[in-house]
Amino acid sequence: MAVRLDRNIVHLSGPSRVEDAEDLLALLQGDRARSVDATASGDLHTAVVQILLAVRPPLAGPCGDPFVERWLRPALHRA
Amino acid sequence: MDELLEQFLVEGRDLVEQASEDLLALERVPGDAARIDSAFRAVHTLKGSVGLFDFAPMAATLHAAEDVMGALRDGRLHADRDLVGAMMQCISAVDGWLEGIARSGGLPPGADDEARRLRGAMHAFAGAPEEKNPARGVEAEWLPALLATDRQAFAAAAATGRALIAVRYTPDPACFFRGDDPLALLRAVPDLVIVHIAPRDPWPASGLDPFACNLVIGFVSFAARDDLRRIFQLVVDQVAMAEIGVSREVVPREVVSREGVSPGAASGGPPAEPEHGALTHTLRIDASRIDALADLVGELIVAKNRLAHLVGQTMHAAPALGRALGANQVEIERLVADLHRGVMAARMVTLTQMFGRLNRLVRDTAGRLGKDVHFETSGAATEADKSVVDGLYEPLLHVLRNAMDHGVEQAAARAASGKARAGRITLDAARARDRIVITVTDDGAGMDPARLRETARRRGLMAEARLDALDDAALLDLVFTPGFSTASAVTEVSGRGVGLDAVRRSIEAMGGRVTIASTPGAGTTVRLAVPQAVTVTTVIMVRIGDERFGVPLEIVAETVRIARDQIRAVGDGVAFVLRERTIPLVRLADLLDSPASARDVRREAPDLRALGRDAPRPDAKVLVIEAGEQRTGIEVDGLAERIDVVIRPLEGLLAGARGLLGTALLGDGSVLMVVNLPELIAWMPHCNIGA
Repeated sequence: MAVRLDRNIVHLSGPSRVEDAEDLLALLQGDRARSVDATASGDLHTAVVQILLAVRPPLAGPCGDPFVERWLRPALHRA
Repeated sequence: MDELLEQFLVEGRDLVEQASEDLLALERVPGDAARIDSAFRAVHTLKGSVGLFDFAPMAATLHAAEDVMGALRDGRLHADRDLVGAMMQCISAVDGWLEGIARSGGLPPGADDEARRLRGAMHAFAGAPEEKNPARGVEAEWLPALLATDRQAFAAAAATGRALIAVRYTPDPACFFRGDDPLALLRAVPDLVIVHIAPRDPWPASGLDPFACNLVIGFVSFAARDDLRRIFQLVVDQVAMAEIGVSREVVPREVVSREGVSPGAASGGPPAEPEHGALTHTLRIDASRIDALADLVGELIVAKNRLAHLVGQTMHAAPALGRALGANQVEIERLVADLHRGVMAARMVTLTQMFGRLNRLVRDTAGRLGKDVHFETSGAATEADKSVVDGLYEPLLHVLRNAMDHGVEQAAARAASGKARAGRITLDAARARDRIVITVTDDGAGMDPARLRETARRRGLMAEARLDALDDAALLDLVFTPGFSTASAVTEVSGRGVGLDAVRRSIEAMGGRVTIASTPGAGTTVRLAVPQAVTVTTVIMVRIGDERFGVPLEIVAETVRIARDQIRAVGDGVAFVLRERTIPLVRLADLLDSPASARDVRREAPDLRALGRDAPRPDAKVLVIEAGEQRTGIEVDGLAERIDVVIRPLEGLLAGARGLLGTALLGDGSVLMVVNLPELIAWMPHCNIGA
């Protein structure tokens, strides 16, 4: 998976692996104002989802992983 | 109340009913395998359903009961009287808990202790509980919380009737290192209903380890258990599963019995069980929706009556238009009547559930009284409006308690008088035109009219002279008088304060009647007759001076004109003779204490005879009404038409006013007071009972 920072948005694209979690966490911890755009992501690894659940960055648009979008979106958005 | 809980209550009651029916049958035929199986399934399903909620004592009790039923089914135990009795107690307790939950949303106080006691009793039969797979059934403590995350989705899924399974998957913290991707397993699960993912431990404020899995994944799905086992086979130690026992096996009887049968069809045999696919022909509808429809129909009837009034006015002003309107109004009237019948039919339920509950209470009470009682019911398939059935429960309960407490004698006394040691109480329901008649008969000691008279005298219930004049039927009727009780001691069972007078009050409030017959030494029969539906009442309009009042037609035996010279002073009142029966006469104006009552019949009657040469006064217009065994003539100034009204309970300032049943809105917008004549008469000291 590509984890890429563009201005203040972390873009996740393609299928993710467990290592992506570390990169994502580092980027999100670098600036708490950063949001995540996963619209182009493939299936997310549990470790990546766990980071999103723990840090709860604002999410831009629907998640590219339909399973996460269908079943976990409420959890990812719950305050 | 939340939809799932409501559904649970509905099904729970059905299952309780099923289980008790089976248990009662087992008591008669202890080896009946079909009954054992059916009772087991009912208890098992109940146990499964209760596991969805946080009612631990109830769940544990049912679990213990299930063990006993399982042992019965496997032939390890025998359904003897003790065992069936103990099971019945469990089921009764569950029934009580369900009622408590329905009232307050939670288990009633004391449920804990009761559950412990019942569990002990169950373990005495089935042995101490063995350690069960903690992932199964009621032990799944996490289940209620999981279901609570999306009750709506769960209720919708449960409503399909397909088996559901819930899983709690707590991945090992080190699972990422082993290459596990827990969500990948979840993606493989078919037919998901709920997914809930949450941290196992709170997220740390800092130092989050991206490679330590700190998640708990819960889900509910229609998947088969075996499929799940396959999907999670490598992490089976991290997974707990719970089958969810929301079962649609048991269709409420009232739904079943209505199928293809016209409302109010003859009572008799038990309702047929549905064949496969019968569910598609029935709907389970929240009673409040039907009530809302019934209210609307009630309004429609009022509007229809108003239309009739308008047609009458138009007839005078423009006869041609009036006739056309009239024809139209007749059509509307017919449609409204059809609609009313339709809605009322939808509210019809059988007495099965209530009878089942009474059955349990009779067993319970008999046990507490140390009496052996055979209780039999018949006609449970009789249908009546839901509100009628609800309204019958308390009065019947009281009548039955009374029969057990005061009617059926102790075994020794029975044996001494040559009776079977076990008492016999029958509860029978039948339909008689638009009424249902419920008869409670016991073969107990019966009541001695002479003793009743003595008691009434001692309590000063009425003047000696009047008491002496009462015939046996009227003496028996005294038991419905407030403050009357034949038992020498107030017992725990029949209680203090609520007497048979309360029974009569509630039945009459429903537009029904209670009568009693008794033979000393042979037993007592109490008969309750209530309208099948209470929503629309036909009232006869009567006039006093310029005021109009309504009297429910069902209490009016007849309307007669009595010539003034036929009215005679009797004691301190007046009376007339109708078909060789002396009937006391009172003026409605006196009963209502209306200003129009300045004249008093008592003085008037003799005066009339004295003034016989004067222009003859018009005959007295009299309603002969029946209250209990008693007939009373009620004189009014005028009788008008009979109309159908919806009687509304008294509200606001009038709430609690005695002598009034309620009000009804008339077609011309005015409000009609509907009087409760039996109450007014009971109240009137000088025409209390007898003439």
